[in-house]
Amino acid sequence: MNDPLKQLSEDTPRQRFVLAETGFNEVPKKYRKFYRRWQGSGDTLALNEVLCPVCRVVIRSSREIRPGDRVYCMPCMSRLVVIRSATGHLEARVAY
Amino acid sequence: MPENHVSDIHGLEPQEFLSQVHSFEFWFESVEGYLSGRPYGHQPDTVETPLSDLERDRLITALCNYCIGETVALEGASGLIAIAPNREAKIFLATQVADEGRHLEVLLRRLTDLGVTDPETEIEKHANRSLLTFRHRLRELVEGRDWEASIFAQNVILEAMEFSVFQTHAEVADPITREILEGIVKDERRHMGFGENDLGRRLALTPHIRDRLNVLRRSLDPLVLETFEDTLSQLGISRSEHPGLGRRYLETVERLGFAS
Repeated sequence: MNDPLKQLSEDTPRQRFVLAETGFNEVPKKYRKFYRRWQGSGDTLALNEVLCPVCRVVIRSSREIRPGDRVYCMPCMSRLVVIRSATGHLEARVAY
Repeated sequence: MPENHVSDIHGLEPQEFLSQVHSFEFWFESVEGYLSGRPYGHQPDTVETPLSDLERDRLITALCNYCIGETVALEGASGLIAIAPNREAKIFLATQVADEGRHLEVLLRRLTDLGVTDPETEIEKHANRSLLTFRHRLRELVEGRDWEASIFAQNVILEAMEFSVFQTHAEVADPITREILEGIVKDERRHMGFGENDLGRRLALTPHIRDRLNVLRRSLDPLVLETFEDTLSQLGISRSEHPGLGRRYLETVERLGFAS
């Protein structure tokens, strides 16, 4: 049976984001805006962000991130797929 | 549109992404961001904090073992180039060799700055036995041309240990040592990521190698943990105050599907 809330969420157009520099300096300059440092347990992820499980850097996108999306973590060179965890949060899993 | 405009990196094809991140070009532009203007790993105007004799001795002991760890990594990474399965991996490993050589150089320089006149003798005096045994085991694996076992030992086990220890030490270190360690940790992200991803791809294609690597893991784990414990106790860092220590390594091996 289809979940109407999930259906609504998937049908809603994705929000777009303008990315600015965050001070992250571990990748080439043109890619730096796609990453930021994770500030620890007090930090929160925006709709266009997900945490890399390999190196704990925050990965950012110019559009809202949803389950099934593929993202790249350049600092540790990982390819990741976004899933929704049992707790309802978005998580990135390494796609070897 | 600005010259360096990138609409969204996440739209790259997987092979295009891998080719980019394994290149020397990527490495040059990455390290420029955090090493430029930092000769020997720290800003020239960072002020030396006075250390007590005990603090200085502890720091020297830790740095001596870091030098051994970096030498192991330097020898390991350079040996791996000959047995790397493709040219992209060889190029990436060449960048890692440059990183490891730099780490060794800045750590030796730090020892000299702390008043150590003969670093080679000092390193020998403080060498952790388990780390030396690990060095011997890694050398055997590389000389045996065992790519999977070597990359597991070097870029997963050793790099994860160094990453955790350096990150923890940086939190309590004097300003110069902290800057040096933070720069090294940024390099280690690439090394760890390369190891996990390369091994993950191989395990997905040839799952039968997992059992062999698990046996290797069980034999190397005690050496790594002993080195880990010893280094932290030398620094006066209690594991109970840092419960997250070692978690990164455990999470990595779990993602790769190794039983604990």
